[in-house]
Amino acid sequence: MSNVRKSFLFWFLFVAIALVPTLAEAKVRVVATLPTLASIVREVGGHHVEVTSLAYPTQDAHFVDARPHLVLQLNKADLLVINGSDLEIGWLPVLVTGARNSRIQPGAAGYLDASTLVTLKEIPHGKLDRSQGDIHPGGNPHYLTDPRNGGKVAVGIAQKLGAIDPANRNDYLKRARALDQKAVALAEQERKRFLAIPQVNRHVVTYHQSWVYFLDWLGLEEIGTIEPKPGIPPDPPHVSRLMTHMRKVHTDAILQEAYYSSRIGKLLAEKTGVPLVVLPGGADFERGETYLSYVETLTRKVYAAIREAK
Amino acid sequence: MLPKRRNHAPLAALRMLAVMPLLIAVAGHPAFAQQAPADASSVDRDDAFEADEREIWEALQEPTPPRLSVAPRAIASMNPDISVILDAAAAAFSGPPDQLGGHDPRQNGFNLQQLELSIGSAVDPYWRFDGNLVFSQFGVEVEEAYATTTALPANLQVRAGQFLTRFGRLNSTHPHAWEFVDQPLVLGKFFGGEGNRGLGTEVSWLSPLPWYLELVGSASEAHGASTARSFFGGENLGVQSLADLQLTGAVKQFFPFGPDWSLAWGLSGASGPNPTGRSNRSEIYGTDVYLKFRPLRDGDWTTVSFTTEAMARRRQVPGGILTDEGLYSTLFWRFDQRWGVAARHEAVTGSANDPLDPTWTGTRQRSSANVTFWPTEFSRIRLQASSDRRADQPTPVYGVFLAFETVIGAHGAHHF
Repeated sequence: MSNVRKSFLFWFLFVAIALVPTLAEAKVRVVATLPTLASIVREVGGHHVEVTSLAYPTQDAHFVDARPHLVLQLNKADLLVINGSDLEIGWLPVLVTGARNSRIQPGAAGYLDASTLVTLKEIPHGKLDRSQGDIHPGGNPHYLTDPRNGGKVAVGIAQKLGAIDPANRNDYLKRARALDQKAVALAEQERKRFLAIPQVNRHVVTYHQSWVYFLDWLGLEEIGTIEPKPGIPPDPPHVSRLMTHMRKVHTDAILQEAYYSSRIGKLLAEKTGVPLVVLPGGADFERGETYLSYVETLTRKVYAAIREAK
Repeated sequence: MLPKRRNHAPLAALRMLAVMPLLIAVAGHPAFAQQAPADASSVDRDDAFEADEREIWEALQEPTPPRLSVAPRAIASMNPDISVILDAAAAAFSGPPDQLGGHDPRQNGFNLQQLELSIGSAVDPYWRFDGNLVFSQFGVEVEEAYATTTALPANLQVRAGQFLTRFGRLNSTHPHAWEFVDQPLVLGKFFGGEGNRGLGTEVSWLSPLPWYLELVGSASEAHGASTARSFFGGENLGVQSLADLQLTGAVKQFFPFGPDWSLAWGLSGASGPNPTGRSNRSEIYGTDVYLKFRPLRDGDWTTVSFTTEAMARRRQVPGGILTDEGLYSTLFWRFDQRWGVAARHEAVTGSANDPLDPTWTGTRQRSSANVTFWPTEFSRIRLQASSDRRADQPTPVYGVFLAFETVIGAHGAHHF
């Protein structure tokens, strides 16, 4: 008997001790769909939040598998931050429904569609259908490549976190402001640097129409895409037309995310001599990369390639 | 003169005395001493950000944020997500075809497999609705129409309406999500051409364990020649007690092995009445394994998956108990954004004196292989060949299908 009682006491104490730190910390649990968003959340939330990303930076956010274990993270989340504008439409909805968590359902206090915080570009006009490719009716969803948008998203995240965890509201806002200020400063500085390059040397080709915010910010001009239409894989006639066009119009770089096949990009680079710049598909959140260091990686690589091409 | 001065001095001293404590109080107050200068210097720096914040805060308050662009917001509407899926196939068989799936190509020549209209939307903060209406050339069937709760406590979720039961892996999915043109034989033989479904209620629970473990239980109607053929089947004998319903239970588990490998494992059981005699029952048990390898290497579309599902059935009939088993295993390899191949083998045993399949006495085996081309993820062309060895045919029946599928509209996300 006494043995049973002893072991019971032991387990009771063990559980109680194990629970104490969890209760004491009570961090706000945030799930971000993309690693880049997760990096922003980590910077804004600091030690008050625990953040995870559903997608990896090596993954095309259009095509993420709805693996069931992701439901476990969503099940316990206090806040879900999504990129929005239909980027995650192919996989997120089943996970959010399966999460059985009313806090993060669309429209709830713990649901933040970050695309509502920025001004989206390329909002299509008129009748839409997929003969135009896999277009996003709400506008181009790849807005995080412009740090000014990242800054706005940071402030929006801070507002949401502040509402969920009022005790640390000022801290969230302070951190978000700091990130926003740094983002704006970086945007100014890089824009000046790129604009110093003559206009004629700021022509690029991209794989997917995912760089419009980046290009507009830095005064770069897109003269063509490797995909004939968004989401449609390149075909030989289109690639050969693009190659002819690249030879006619001076081109300085070919940009693409690492998660796309680089076969055509390499071919174009080889035939035209224009450097291929393979860019990370998102911040390397798991290795601790910050949002701004990710953006800096983008500008550094593109700037170096363009300078070289000149 | 002097008295005047003297008179003045005490006045000044008095004034000083009166002001001093005030000065000391104000200057000495920590709020004034420390905060005031800090505030003064940060005012202009923060103004812009406060304006930003106000704007963002306002945007967060409104269901549809204000747009600076005058472009119409096509997305801002109360319309549910609507999609239409067309599956059609040309087929040729070397002998009399005996396809069991309701949406399989079943005859030589052209086949309309299905025209599916899917509708889905949140109902309110507590429910979402999903419906699938399937049109054939001759009519419309309500394949699924159910509501799912989104805000129940204790990790519970309820589905109510007409739905495909979550028995095994493939049963609850639609042809659109299949790796083959036709339904596995075992599902057709045990449940019917439409898969196991019916009006009913389902409760599922996500366990708080550190890995994905979900328990599912449902009660649904036990009749339907093509949806519950092992149970009441085509004979609707009514519901006198709970024993006249089909009860289904399942355990679903999922194990991720790093970012690239996934393993899903399920155990399922269904029990219900059959019409062969008073209180005669049928029971079906199954297990399913799905192993998937999708390396998240840059620029790689490779996906390799292995699925196997095995089921055993036990039926009480007059004069004894009938038992039979069936399984299918598939191997799927997508080696390019646009191309994939798959192979499948199936075996389903039979028993003598089976009232449902009197000629199915031996083991029926079918082997199939296909190649798929996806122009985009919204269209698909699939060429499939199969060899079907049945006890009632002296030689195998070979079949060839050329199937195509198109999806328009906002099609919902798929389960893993």
